[in-house]
Amino acid sequence: MKILVCVKQVCEPETAFSFEASRPWLRQPATVRYQMNSFDEYALEGALLLKEGLPGVGLDALSVGPARAATVLQRAQGMGADRAIHILSQDEPEALALATWIAAWARAQDYHLILCGAMSQDAMQGLVGPMLAELLGLPLATSVVKLELRPGQAAIYVERELEGGWRDCLELPLPAVLTIQSGINRPRYPSLSNLLRAKQTKPHTLEATALPAAPARLELVAVDPPQRTRAGRRLEGDIQDKARQLAAILRERALL
Amino acid sequence: MSPDSARSVVVVAELRQGELAPVTWELLACARRIAPAAGLALYAVVLGQAVQEAAGRLAAAGAAVTALQGPGLALYNGQAWREVLAQALPSLRPAIVLAAHTTQGLDFAPGLAVRLGAACLTGVERVAVQDGRLLFGRPAWHSKAVAQYAAAAPLSVLTVQPGAFAAEAPAADQAAGSLEVRPAAPLAGSVRFLGLRRAAEQSADLTQAQVVVAAGRGIGKPENLALVQRLAACFSSAAVAGSRPVCDAGWLDYSRQVGITGATVSPQLYIACGISGARQHTAGMQGAGFIVAISLDPQAAIFNLADLCIVEDLTLFIPAFLAECTSAPA
Ligand SMILES: Cc1cc2nc3c(=O)[nH]c(=O)nc-3n(C[C@H](O)[C@H](O)[C@H](O)COP(=O)(O)OP(=O)(O)OC[C@H]3O[C@@H](n4cnc5c(N)ncnc54)[C@H](O)[C@@H]3O)c2cc1C
Ligand SMILES: Nc1ncnc2c1ncn2[C@@H]1O[C@H](COP(=O)(O)O)[C@@H](O)[C@H]1O
Repeated sequence: MKILVCVKQVCEPETAFSFEASRPWLRQPATVRYQMNSFDEYALEGALLLKEGLPGVGLDALSVGPARAATVLQRAQGMGADRAIHILSQDEPEALALATWIAAWARAQDYHLILCGAMSQDAMQGLVGPMLAELLGLPLATSVVKLELRPGQAAIYVERELEGGWRDCLELPLPAVLTIQSGINRPRYPSLSNLLRAKQTKPHTLEATALPAAPARLELVAVDPPQRTRAGRRLEGDIQDKARQLAAILRERALL
Repeated sequence: MSPDSARSVVVVAELRQGELAPVTWELLACARRIAPAAGLALYAVVLGQAVQEAAGRLAAAGAAVTALQGPGLALYNGQAWREVLAQALPSLRPAIVLAAHTTQGLDFAPGLAVRLGAACLTGVERVAVQDGRLLFGRPAWHSKAVAQYAAAAPLSVLTVQPGAFAAEAPAADQAAGSLEVRPAAPLAGSVRFLGLRRAAEQSADLTQAQVVVAAGRGIGKPENLALVQRLAACFSSAAVAGSRPVCDAGWLDYSRQVGITGATVSPQLYIACGISGARQHTAGMQGAGFIVAISLDPQAAIFNLADLCIVEDLTLFIPAFLAECTSAPA
């Protein structure tokens, strides 16, 4: 059985952006720390649990991104992925382009299961997994919070998380694409021995420009700072001043 | 943008237990904003097994409604929804298709867009017309910015964030729209739908508390929950809640989670401790009377909907506040 997990490298949520009046509109500081998209850690852990429960599972981790994305693949291998596939791409492509590239790779590999995160923490689109399923013509389940291979591994039982505490229970024939929701498991930390091994092996690298391209369907026209919906008064001073002000304001409003 | 009455904006209604979900009216409000500005006709489609009544209510509000009915559509099913919509939509000549940014809309919309060769944007919160072009705004970059997109394809499939557009009562002189019922018989799909299951109950004390003190990933480790609990103890009717990662980690029970997949609370006071302010969380607390946010990140999105913003390390700030409360009574 072969499993593919798609992992995205994201800048850490604390990254300080600055806004510009024209392209590229948003600038990152010179040094940015990157991490694995948290939803993808759950997807990877889900795949690792399947692998541990079943002999002969091969687990590939794939990331699309610039050279720095290699570190997220190392982390995936550190957690236990067997192989790393790096699709090298300089800029941040549209979800459809990403899905088209991943589909081009996956088509030649006969994966039984493809796992994505429910969304990427930074972009929060929830697009790549469902688009990949459509491009590959595979059944899809999104927002999966429980998964169990059926005996014989021809199908998988999943529960999708819905609003209001409900779950949708489905059985999908394999191969299939799932998007994994947070909380489904407790992602492990990479092991040192795996990490060392990962650092010695090079990921299998493909150039995005050599893969089929998707037509651009969106044009990014502007990037604006978010709007405030409330006063958003910032307390100033040292920490004691701020604590004093907060207590005073809450008392004034009879909240404390 | 030439007025082209032959093209349309189509709302895909969302049903809950056979009733129109509230977000459907918000989609309609969004469509009403787009349609005149872009010279588009307004349509709605309703999928289900017996949806004539729900469809009738949408038609009464002025939309031209197509009800797609069939036994294969009794419960939501992504395969069937994509198939039936991909077949039915082209005859309505949509330029824009609006679905809800819910677990349902997010499940069928991206695949539908691929099938129709459409642009796809999820979590849309703003629409604007600029230089004759429709722009769609959605949060991006950890919700620290709003990205504005124009479609570079003749058709766009959008999921619209619940709460972003206020539902409108139809005008008194609103003429009813047409209603057409079409049978729809999706092929038997390969996915077996085994039914719905109730997984979580919400705790009443959370939704009734006058003060909610919420812990986010920023508490760093479970030991720091004690700080949040001591903060809550300063108030007479306070409950401790958490963002999803805190519940995912098992630091708090899921019944304490606030957000779209947790509880919706509207206390008099909400104190967010170490919460960044992702939409999935803020949807559950933005109705609070007074919002105080504590985060180390000066750009955290939570500050955009807070009344008071405190850029501090909560592990230092909360003790400072506790000292203030005990040493200087009113
Ligand atoms: C379908 C779906 C449904 C979801 N439903 C929900 C839901 O119901 N509820 C929910 O909450 N989330 C939900 N999520 C997850 C949501 O998208 C976010 O991932 C989540 O809300 C982030 O939680 P957080 O703000 O605690 O963590 P983070 O985003 O990691 O933010 C942590 C914050 O703490 C700050 N911080 C760090 N250290 C300190 C310190 N020492 N002192 C002060 N501040 C500090 C950081 O600067 C940051 O601002 C859902 C996601 C999906 C895809
Ligand atoms: N650059 C990328 N490389 C690999 N996988 C990705 C990439 N971007 C998104 N994905 C996958 O698609 C999921 C959803 O991302 P998004 O559609 O951006 O919300 C992520 O959780 C990943 O599994």
